[in-house]
Amino acid sequence: MATTKFRHVFGGLWGFATSCKKNSSTPIGSRILQRDVEKEEFQYASILCLSKYYSVFVVRLAIMVMLAILIGLLTILTWHFTKIYTTKSLNSLAYDLRYELLQRPILRMWNILNSTSEITMAQVKLSQYVIRSHGNLTTQENQVEMYEAMRAVTWALFASRKALNSITVKYNNGFVQAFHRDLKDNNTFYIYSDLANYSIGASASSYNSDINYSSLSSQESWNDHDNKSAVWYRQPLDPVTGEKIGKAMQIAPEDSIHIAGLSQVPDGVASWRVVVSKFTDSPLLSAALPVWDASNKSIVAVVGVTTALYSVGQLMKELVELHSGHMYLTSLEGYLLATSTDVPLLTNSTKPPKLKMSVDCENEVIRLGAEYLKKSSGNKFPPSHEVHVANVRLGHDRYYIDSFFLNLKRLPMVGVIIIPRKHILGQEDKRAFKTLVILISASMCIIVIGWVCILILTNGVSKEMKLRAELISQLEARRKAEASSNYKSQFLANMSHELRTPMAAIIGLLDILMSDDCLTNEQCATVTQIRKCSTALLRLLNNILDLSKVESGKLVLEDAEFDLGRELEGLVDMFSVQCMNHSVETVLDLSDDMPKLVRGDSARVVQIFANLINNSIKFTPSGHIILRGWFENPNPCSDNANHLMEEKNLQCAQKTRTRQHENHAKRTSKRDNKAILWFEVDDTGCGIDPSKWDSVFESFEQADPSTTRLHGGTGLGLCIVRSLVNKMGGEIKVVKKEGPGTLMRLYLRLDTAGDATEQHCLVDIANNGLVVLLALHGNMGRSITSKWLQKNGVFTMEASEWNGLTQILRELFHTRNSAGINNDFDLHYPIHESLKSKLLSIQEIKNPVFVIAVDIGLLDLSTDIWKEQLNFLHRYVGRAKFIWVLNHDTSNTIKMELRRKGYMMTVNKPLYKAKIVHILEEVVKERNHEMQKKNMDELHESDYTHCDAASSDDSDISESGPCNPVKSEKVEQFHRLSLYRINNCLIGLTDEHSEANNTPKKEELCQNNQNSPKSLSLEQDYFPREAHQGEDSESRGKEEHRIIGGSARPVNGKKSLEGLRILLAEDTPVIQRVATIMLEKMGASVVAVGDGQAAVDALNGLLGVEDFRRDSNLNERNTRSSSSQTEILSFPSYDLVLMDCQMPKMDGYEATKAIRKSEVGSGVHIPIVALTAHAMSCDEAKCLEVGMDAYLTKPIDFKLMESTILSLTRRTIS
Amino acid sequence: MDVGQMQRQWLDYTRSLFIEGFLDNQFLQLQQLQDENNPEFVVEVVSLFFDDSERLLKDLNFALDQQGVDFKKVDAHVHQLKGSSSSIGAQRVKNACIAFRNFCEEQNVEACLRCLQQVKQEYCLVKNKLETLFRLEQQIVAAGGSIPMMELGF
Repeated sequence: MATTKFRHVFGGLWGFATSCKKNSSTPIGSRILQRDVEKEEFQYASILCLSKYYSVFVVRLAIMVMLAILIGLLTILTWHFTKIYTTKSLNSLAYDLRYELLQRPILRMWNILNSTSEITMAQVKLSQYVIRSHGNLTTQENQVEMYEAMRAVTWALFASRKALNSITVKYNNGFVQAFHRDLKDNNTFYIYSDLANYSIGASASSYNSDINYSSLSSQESWNDHDNKSAVWYRQPLDPVTGEKIGKAMQIAPEDSIHIAGLSQVPDGVASWRVVVSKFTDSPLLSAALPVWDASNKSIVAVVGVTTALYSVGQLMKELVELHSGHMYLTSLEGYLLATSTDVPLLTNSTKPPKLKMSVDCENEVIRLGAEYLKKSSGNKFPPSHEVHVANVRLGHDRYYIDSFFLNLKRLPMVGVIIIPRKHILGQEDKRAFKTLVILISASMCIIVIGWVCILILTNGVSKEMKLRAELISQLEARRKAEASSNYKSQFLANMSHELRTPMAAIIGLLDILMSDDCLTNEQCATVTQIRKCSTALLRLLNNILDLSKVESGKLVLEDAEFDLGRELEGLVDMFSVQCMNHSVETVLDLSDDMPKLVRGDSARVVQIFANLINNSIKFTPSGHIILRGWFENPNPCSDNANHLMEEKNLQCAQKTRTRQHENHAKRTSKRDNKAILWFEVDDTGCGIDPSKWDSVFESFEQADPSTTRLHGGTGLGLCIVRSLVNKMGGEIKVVKKEGPGTLMRLYLRLDTAGDATEQHCLVDIANNGLVVLLALHGNMGRSITSKWLQKNGVFTMEASEWNGLTQILRELFHTRNSAGINNDFDLHYPIHESLKSKLLSIQEIKNPVFVIAVDIGLLDLSTDIWKEQLNFLHRYVGRAKFIWVLNHDTSNTIKMELRRKGYMMTVNKPLYKAKIVHILEEVVKERNHEMQKKNMDELHESDYTHCDAASSDDSDISESGPCNPVKSEKVEQFHRLSLYRINNCLIGLTDEHSEANNTPKKEELCQNNQNSPKSLSLEQDYFPREAHQGEDSESRGKEEHRIIGGSARPVNGKKSLEGLRILLAEDTPVIQRVATIMLEKMGASVVAVGDGQAAVDALNGLLGVEDFRRDSNLNERNTRSSSSQTEILSFPSYDLVLMDCQMPKMDGYEATKAIRKSEVGSGVHIPIVALTAHAMSCDEAKCLEVGMDAYLTKPIDFKLMESTILSLTRRTIS
Repeated sequence: MDVGQMQRQWLDYTRSLFIEGFLDNQFLQLQQLQDENNPEFVVEVVSLFFDDSERLLKDLNFALDQQGVDFKKVDAHVHQLKGSSSSIGAQRVKNACIAFRNFCEEQNVEACLRCLQQVKQEYCLVKNKLETLFRLEQQIVAAGGSIPMMELGF
């Protein structure tokens, strides 16, 4: 298995190597092969991974083997040490034991020997004494007496020692006296030879006479006695007393015991023998000593003592019983003397019995042991040779064999002990085996577990490797996906340009077509329809482009200061027109602490809200749409925050729920000094299912797909909104709301400009005794406005329909003038308590000024009743100021009627704060003026009209003058401004009662204004197309037919760029020429240079000669600007630079950088407009980055260039 | 041929140029820029374009014939050509230039050469067409008529 794995590894390595080779051999630089290269890279990565995987496997194997070896070693060592030391100590113990064991029988033996020798010696000494005391054995009686004495002495000795087998005394005359114990029968015998046969005297004489001879002869005679069977008698004795108890019997020679004779002591010293007798089973130890006569010259008798070795065997048996095993003693020759067993030591087969050799022992163990010893050390035991063998196999078992050499002088002996090994080390051996088994199994277990652990661990590692490989591949995939998505957005961005151009052309051409008056009505309608569709298509295109721009991160947000409130007001105005058809109320509710000026991309902010409101309008058939906004101070002190919070609570209870969000946002925004602006778009439409709250922000996602049929749309709007909001550092989400509809809440993080929370100070409208009666149709807008006014110290009352209004009016004025007149009226219209209390509190106000804002919608416009109603209200005109809130579609007749009645203050719906503030300020101002007037000149009770209460730059408030309603708003504004001025001049001239006269005058003024060249030029410069669309363009259409086609050429008056000096840096001659002509047509004087370096030089006053020449050539052709040539020469300063981005020598970016560098410190900032063929926003970003101010794409669009240049130069001029 | 007919012919011809995509809106703008101050403006610019383009095409030819093609240089030339052609509204030349630049980025010599041929072809076509157009205009002017204003779509 391992080998196959290794083969895999090597295969992987080989594959890696070959792929490397392939890699290196592929020619680089070929784009087509790039994909292959990528693939190979990927393969390379995977091979690398594979080889890593295999190397991990090898490492795993190595670790496992090492672990096995380690544990094996450990096991062996453990086993070894435990075994060795135990065995050693046990062995030494066993040796001691064996030694001890053997020593004891040997000691016993020794004891026996000693006692035997002592007895012998004692017998000898006693014999000597007895013999000496009977020195003259002359007579028979003496001799008998001596024998008797000897017998007694010997008996005494014999009786004293029970262990003695026999004591024999053999006299030199051949007489024998012996005591013998038969150990088998436990009988004691006295053995003696026939006394009559011996003559003591003779023997003595002979003995005395010739010692040598006699000794020899006696010897001979002894031998004779021995050889010849003398007649011996045996007499049983009482073993205790020694009394003769039986008859002496002659005994057969074979029954005789061993009698020590002179032969046994040939040299006169003690001798030792081992003998056997038929009376005992055990061998006998016999000692013999001669008894010397008094002169110590001759031996008179020989004393022999035999002792049974039985007791030694007995002891051995006892010992062996205790310790098990076998013991035996042998003579040097190998005859068994004693064993621990009961086996006979004597051969029974022969007569007389003989000693057995140990190798012939019937006991198997002893025999085998003896054989082993014989084999190992030969027949002869060397002196002091001891054998200690620990592990001998005898038969089936193992034994210890130890031999000891007992060196007695005449009787050397060998002791052997055989102990079964089982007895001493049996447990140990068994245990050792068990321990070994346990150790091995334990170590096996450990190895297995260790392997498993290693496997698991390395498996983890290899899994990690696998995961890493996967990660790598996924990264690769992600990279590819990102690349493809990048391609997508790039494609979209590129496509958009291609798509937008024809779209722009289509729309432009449609405009031309529409302005053509030779179309039939039907055609005109169709074309208008096409125009609408094209616009819609363009919007869709723009949406998609926006989205892809944001998604590809190419959207660069502008950073300019703008008036957020004003933008939003404009937005609400715009949408309120749209809402009219739906009977939906659009309300703008911005808190007072909103910063007036913020920095950011106003267009995108407006786009966000436009999309949101548009969405709301789409799905809200009736009810209201509220755009709420409030400001969150990023670093508030606690009091302030609480205060703000309270305010918010007052305004909208729901907002408390957002506190957490706010806090969160607060934290995040603490670092940068940005304000967090919260907004809510609240509608009463069909609402969004909560499950779709998140998904509605996805691309092409609509809450209810079926609505597409009804409302259209692509589902891109909210997606763009979210993208933009996120881009501005904010968040948007759908929030739960009470009641039907949707509540979108978002916050934006915008830089506040300067004084962040500039309060719209309402000091002048508060505390002026203002009482505002809001007679407005929309509930929401009315209540919000009323609340806000009350908060700012203005007393308000509300009425939602005509009857309510009349009731309040009556109450207000009639009760004031004459209390209690209208009691009957009260019966008809019972007044609410709250209203009553309000009325009461109003009565306390000193010198109140009543302002009544009347929604024109309150009047019954369907019939002619409204005129009556108007007349009714007109009755109060002296006591209250009327503000008429008009709809966009309010008919002219009503407006005329209002104007005729002298109502000057009209305002268009929706009514938001800025408008109210403006109106109220006007009212207050007017009143103050009046008061002054009254004080100054009581006679001149002149009232004057004030026609303008404009608040925002968009014309929401139509003035009383006869203005052309179709005119563009800007023009209207201009008119209004001029009218305002004029009217101011007219103050005092106009009479209260001369309204009729006043109107035509104004009309005249208006006409004048219209005809004045200045206003015309402005109008046309700004809005040529609208001008042509407008009705009044028809009159001019004929004389200005050249304009048709979109160019804004002034007919009379100044040209748009008159007097501007423009430096054009462009290398392509064609573009240079075209741009020059375009600019000159607009009235600018142009100096063209060919590259960036020249442009920089020109700006630095080092205008090249060549460029001068070209310039002068151009100017020659252009006769009109010949005068300006000198101007250029003398004043080489320019109002603007048009800079191509890609130029030889020095490109536009470099040139711009150089210019900006040279400007540092001088305080000058010349506007530079980039001209580039690239249409991507990244180029735009690059342009702006290097310090350019604007950006124009090639081919140059006439109008765009004009407006860009104008906006830039205007800025610098102002 | 009377003036009216010539004018109609001129109109038809111009329209066909727009429809076939030789020219685009930019050319209209050029024509609108022409006035009594610059009566020959269009012709002037277009001839500038011709000169410029021929120079650029020559340069391009030279640059692409070289052994090691300097794509940066080629790209710059094509870019310039694209700019000038788009400025006079020679749409097809411009489109060819766009394709050319893409291949330039890929550094594909073969495709570049192919594109160069295409650009040349387009250039010749538009040159012929414009020259014809100007000839027509001259004829109209010679016959005492005025060039009708372009009021057509494409």
